[in-house]
Order: sequence, then C-alpha cells, then structure tokens
Amino acid sequence: MTSTIGHFALYLALVAAAWATLASWLGTIASGRGLQKSAERGIYASFAGIAIGVLALEIALLTNDFRLDAVYHYSSVAQPLPYKIGALWGSQAGSLLLWAFLLSGMASITVATNRTKNRALMPWVVTTLGLVMTFFLILVNVVASPFASGPMRPDGVGLNPQLKNYWMMIHPPTLYLGYVGFTIPFAFAMAALAARRTGDIWFRTTRRWTIFAWFFLGTGILMGSYWAYIELGWGGYWAWDPVENASLMPWLTGTAFLHSVMIQEKKGMMKVWNVTLILITFCLSIFGTFLTRSGIISSVHSFATSDIGPAFAWFLGIVFFGSLLLLVQRLPDLAAESRLESVLSREASFLFNNMVLVGIAATVLFLTTFPLISEAATGRKVTMGPPIFNIVNVPWALVLLFLIGVGPLIAWRKATGENLRRNFLLPGLTGVWVFLLFVVLEGRAARESLSGMGRALVSFDAATFLDRLKAFYPPICFGLAGFVLATVAIEFSRAIAVRRRQNGENAALALVRLVGRNRRRWGGYVVHVGVVVVFVGIAASSAYRKETVQLLDPGGTMRIDGYALTYDGYRLEAVNDYVGAITELSVWQDGRFVGRLEAAQRWHPNMLFPELRTAFHDAVAARTGDPATYRARIQGIFALISRLEQGAGREVKTPSTEVAIHKSFSLAAPQRFGEDFYVTPLGVDPISGKANFRVFVNPFVNFLWLGGLVFVLGATICILPDARERQRLEAQMALEDRAAA
Amino acid sequence: MPAATDAVYERAARAILCDCGCHPQSVLECACSHAQEMREAIAAEAAAGKSAEAIIAGYVSRSGESILVVPKAEGFNLLAWFGPGAGLLVALVGMAVLVRKWRRSEPPPPGEAPPPAAASDLERLRRAIDEGR
Repeated sequence: MTSTIGHFALYLALVAAAWATLASWLGTIASGRGLQKSAERGIYASFAGIAIGVLALEIALLTNDFRLDAVYHYSSVAQPLPYKIGALWGSQAGSLLLWAFLLSGMASITVATNRTKNRALMPWVVTTLGLVMTFFLILVNVVASPFASGPMRPDGVGLNPQLKNYWMMIHPPTLYLGYVGFTIPFAFAMAALAARRTGDIWFRTTRRWTIFAWFFLGTGILMGSYWAYIELGWGGYWAWDPVENASLMPWLTGTAFLHSVMIQEKKGMMKVWNVTLILITFCLSIFGTFLTRSGIISSVHSFATSDIGPAFAWFLGIVFFGSLLLLVQRLPDLAAESRLESVLSREASFLFNNMVLVGIAATVLFLTTFPLISEAATGRKVTMGPPIFNIVNVPWALVLLFLIGVGPLIAWRKATGENLRRNFLLPGLTGVWVFLLFVVLEGRAARESLSGMGRALVSFDAATFLDRLKAFYPPICFGLAGFVLATVAIEFSRAIAVRRRQNGENAALALVRLVGRNRRRWGGYVVHVGVVVVFVGIAASSAYRKETVQLLDPGGTMRIDGYALTYDGYRLEAVNDYVGAITELSVWQDGRFVGRLEAAQRWHPNMLFPELRTAFHDAVAARTGDPATYRARIQGIFALISRLEQGAGREVKTPSTEVAIHKSFSLAAPQRFGEDFYVTPLGVDPISGKANFRVFVNPFVNFLWLGGLVFVLGATICILPDARERQRLEAQMALEDRAAA
Repeated sequence: MPAATDAVYERAARAILCDCGCHPQSVLECACSHAQEMREAIAAEAAAGKSAEAIIAGYVSRSGESILVVPKAEGFNLLAWFGPGAGLLVALVGMAVLVRKWRRSEPPPPGEAPPPAAASDLERLRRAIDEGR
C-alpha cells in the first residue's frame, strides 16, 4: 500500500514538474503573473510528491518489504537500522530519487526566496529547474523506478559489505548536495542569457548557492577519501577511480568559476567564460551522476550497472548544445567592459589559475574516458591506473599551489615592482628556505636524483629526467606551501595591525571583526590554508610511505620503520550479518608501547542459502553460551562456506576488511606528528589463527584530514550571510532594473 | 626471495592490474584476497626464473591489454600518454595569444551616457568601494 502511494506520488510529481516547466516558459511570453505563479506552485507540488516517494521507500526499507527490488537487493532482515535507511541511496533508482528530492527542495527554496525579487529572471530559472526535475522524474518513473517489484521474498541480499560503514550515511548525500547544488547557478546563468540580463545579478544572487555546492562537493570528496582510507585496506585514499574523478571534475571547474567571477565583478571581463564555466560545471555534475550510477567505466562503484546511459547521454547533449547555442546568440551582450593591462596583475593570475584548474579537469575527463575512446576507435580495452594521472596532474597541482600564493596578494590592473617586493619578498624567501631545508634533509637521495637528472639531460632521455624529477616534488610542494602560508600570514598580520592601530582592539578581537567585515575574502584565505595543508599531507604521505607484508602466528612480531607489532591472538565472532576473525595486536613506537589495536577480516554469508542462514543464526544464538561451542559453530560456518563455494555457481560470501590505525598526535614524538601506523589483515586462518598482515607507516597523512577541516571552516565563513553583500546585490538590482526600464 | 627475484616480482606486480573490480590498482597495492592470490602466482613465476617482461606478457596474452595498470606507450595509446601534454601546450599558446589580444585591444568605447545615479546609489557605491579591495 505504502509503495503504491509512493509510486503514484512520483507520477504526480512528474506531472507537476512538467507543468512547472511549460507554464513558466509560457509565462515568459504571456502577460500577467498567473501562469508564473502556477508554475512556481508546480515546483512546490513536485517537491511534495517526491518527498512522499522518498518516505514511502524508506518505510518499505524499514518494514523489509522485499517485494520491491530496491529493498530486496540492498537490504536484509539482519541489516542494521542505519544501513536500512542508507540503502535508499545504495540502489540506483533510490539515488536518482534522492537527486530529484534534493533538487526539488533546492528549487522550492529558490522560488520561495525570490518571490519578490529577480522577477525578470525567475520565469527562465523555473523553466530550467523544472526541466532538470522533469528529466530526473522521468528516470525514476520510467527507466529506473524505485518501486519496481517482484514476488515477496523471505530475505534480501543486503547492502554491499564495503558500504556498511558509517560514512555511507554521510558521504553520498553530501556529495549529492554538491552535484545538485550547481543546478541553481546554472539555472540563473541560463535565465540571464534568455532574459538578456547578462550583468552581475545572476552570479551575485547565486554566489552562496555556488559556494554551498562547491563546499558540499569538496567535503564529500574528502569524506569519500577518508572512507576509502579506512575501509579498503590498501593504505591510500585516492586511486583515480572513475567515480572519484567524476566528483573531482565539477569541483575543479566550480573552483575556477568562483575565482573567475571575481574578475567580472571587479573589471567586467570574462563574461562569456563565466557562463561557459558554470555550464561545464553543471554538465560535469550530471556526467558525474551518470558515471557513478551507470557503471559505464568499470570501477569499485560499478555495482550500479544499468541501462540509464542513453537517457543521460540525450539529456547531457540537449543541455550542453542547447545552452551553447543560447550563449552564442547572446555573445554581443557579453562584451568585456575593460581590458587586461598587464600579465603581472591579479586578473592574469586568476586567468592562469583558471587555465590550470580547467586543465586538470580536462585531463582527468580525457583520461577517465580514454578506455571508452580506445575501445570505440581500436576495439582494444585499456585501463587507466593512477601512474598516468599522476604524470600530468602532479606538476599541474604544484603550479596551482604557486598561484594560490600569488593570486590574493598581487595588485589588480598592474603590479609594480614595489608591490611585488613588498608582498612577495618575505614569502618567496620562506619558500626557498623550506625547499632547501627538505632537499638537505633528503641528503643522499636528492643528490642521486640530481645527478640522474643531469645524466638524463646529457643523453636527451626525457622519460628518465621526468622520473628523477619526481624525487623533488615533495620538497617543491613543501617550499610552495611555505610560500603560500607566509603570504596568508602576512596579509592577516598587516590587516590586524591596521585595525589595532586605528581602533585600539586587541589581536583576537581585531581578527574576529576583520573576518566579520569581509567574510568572503578572509574565509577564502582560510580555505587556501586548508588546501595547502591538504597538499602537504598528500605529498608527504605519498612520498615517504613505507610498507611491509608478513605472515605471523599468534605471538609473532614484525618490525617496520621504528615500529614493532606483536600479534597477541585472535577471536571469532558472529554478529549482525557477518562472521569475523578479529586479530588482537600490540604496537610499540620507537621502543615505547603506544597501544593495542584490533584489525579484522569479515565474511558476509549469503543468507539466501538456507543452510548457511541456519548455521549463522545457530552461531549467533550460541554467543552468550559456552565459548568453545560458539567458536566451533563459527568454524563450522567457514567449513560450510568452503563446501558451498565448490559447487554453488554464485557468491556464497563477501569478504571485507576492518583496518586498525594508530594515529600519532603526541608531542613526545614530534617527528611523527600526524603519522598513521596502519594494519590490514590480508588473510586470517580461522582454525590456526595464522595471519598475513600488511602494515603501512603513513607520515603526515593526518594533515590531509586536518587540512580538510580547515577547508570546511573557511568555506563555512564564506557561506555565512553577509549583510554588506546583500546591500551590494540590492544596489546592483536597483541599477539594473532602472537600466532595463 | 633473492634480491634479483624480488625486483622482478615487484616490477611485474606493480605493472599488472588486480582484476578484482575494486579501485584500478596494481596487484602489488590492492588489499583484496584476489590480489593476494595473484601476488603468490607472480612470486612463483619470478622464483622460477622468469623475467618481469615475460610474466607481464603472459598476463597480457591471457587477459588482454586491460590487465596492465597503464597502457603501453605505443600506437593509439600514445594519445593518452601525450594528449594531456599537447593539450597543455595548446592551452599555453592559446592563453598567450588571448592575453596579447586583450592587452592590445582598446577599451570599449563609451556608449550612450547612463542616467544619472541617485544619491542613495552613489552612497551604496561609496560604501562598497570602502569595504572592497
């Protein structure tokens, strides 16, 4: 009954969204506000319908309604409650429903907050938003319905074990908020073109939406990296997986957009580029959703393989080429109001920053889709692993880091020698000093790389030269980080000193008031600091990582880089929906005992095998009884799994790994600050306890997560309401309305 | 394993993809149980005296080129290896041309004089200039 209500609610939501699109478009030609009001109510109605659909699916998940495919494939009776709720976005149909839900919510907020303003733009905004909503509602009603059903089944398959992690509850919705959020600035950009209001209003109105989308996408990427780090057991956090790349691309172009609109704001330049950037960002968001959900390029996320590809391809084509056509028609309205006076200027530095950001995004897009291009052109399948991405993107990223330092301090229009000396001498010296310090610390390795580069240069061996150059990437990165941090520190200290002199405030109060008076600017600096710290974490943890693999019996010890790990013993357990072998470990760091850890291997039995389900429930029932019986029953499950696997022809169990991490934040060992000692049990014999451990020492890796927190802080400062921004926007609106009149 | 065999194993395991369907990672790096089986197989081949190239070629002949972590730098694949670099060069040249054109262009001629701004607008503008940078 509930699912039937959900099903029809989604139909009604589709009708309402289609009506909103049509009525709003008609409203742009007809006089009077009747049609427009009706269209806006259509957006609200569609939101209500989708919300009912979401609620109905959640009820089906919570009540184990295994008639629904979206419940049967992604939930099970034993699945813990949070994962039953999160299973909504585990399925393809459910995640598309979530997309539609978030979009309709944001569209409703946009309509509500623009009831009395932006009236020239709103009909086109509602048309665009309605069109995107209609597309996603067609998908969930026709192509991939979350309410598709079959016969009632006694139990479900359950969520992929790797997804049974608390990040499953947070990461996908966060990422989707980012993807979906870019629809609002895109809709305003299209409205500005269609209504021939190509001034500043469209991006000033949607600035907070843009930062909102960019913030959630960036945070979602960081969360996903952390999730991969703690769940997948390979000691890393980024593997240039197609789905990871899909989220990175719109974030990069969104970052470029946030910077380039500043040039339009200050100088009236780059109007065409800004519209193009937001169009690309929106298209990449749709492409990202498509890549995530279609499984078109094999990846860890390809559990979502489906036939939604053609629908997405058509929609993307229509949106991209339709928007491009509109842009070309409006080119005369988008002429620059001033010219670039010098390459030594902030405008030019933003131009270069845009080139690098869009360059990285284009490279990632090209390399991610290259397997498809290769297969189409030559019939050969190829794989694009991390090394090929790193070759190009690491140098790009270092240039970007340099520009992060240059951009905020170089003068608008034309930098003078005095401006450059005043702002960059000290940061430049700091950067060079840090670089040299790390080269000296590297010592012999640096000398060997340098002589290797020399030999390669003499013999014109470009490949070896580039390979040897890699050894200098970390010191270059640290040097550039020192440069950027010095520029930010100087900027803050100068501004605080001025406030202290003028207003007699203490340093803390001056800092708070300074940030409060121009949140976007100072919040932006904090974001820059966060990005720098992230870069340092990535560079150091990649370059100085150490690892070893060793087979140990209980009681055995292994050593790596000043650490000793003793395998004290193991225990077996049967809980929730898995059986696990938990290894108990003791860790010493530089001879000092630092703690006990537990790392586990889990097997999730396929409960659709009746004998396995019975054996599992028997083991769970014995948990509180005699320990020997409990252990024997679990060992019996392993034996049963082995027997079934010999002739089952389908998956009997799904393994997953729970890594153990010791984080070093103690000032007693400052050289290890931010370091992780990371243990993955590659295999544990449930009978003998013999275990194969893979151990990593990841220096500075926590700087990546700390930098992420600083990024979140900075972006939060930027996104807070700003009365002065609002006043400026209102003044601009008044001027544009007067000009239009 | 002797050092030479160790080097052969590492080279081969670093070049061959773990085809478990997880992240696109080499056999050497992937943490799944399938990678462990592949590592053992590669180590056995290295211990039997095979070169890294021979081990890699064996995998390619059995599973196709997609078993390599990165495609060989030959034929159509050169597009993947050198395409981004060529793109960078094109972007730099394009940027240089654009900057040159912008610097040489005259500022747009003043159009029809805008209507005089109201005192309140001027006051807002003054505040914006004071607060901005």
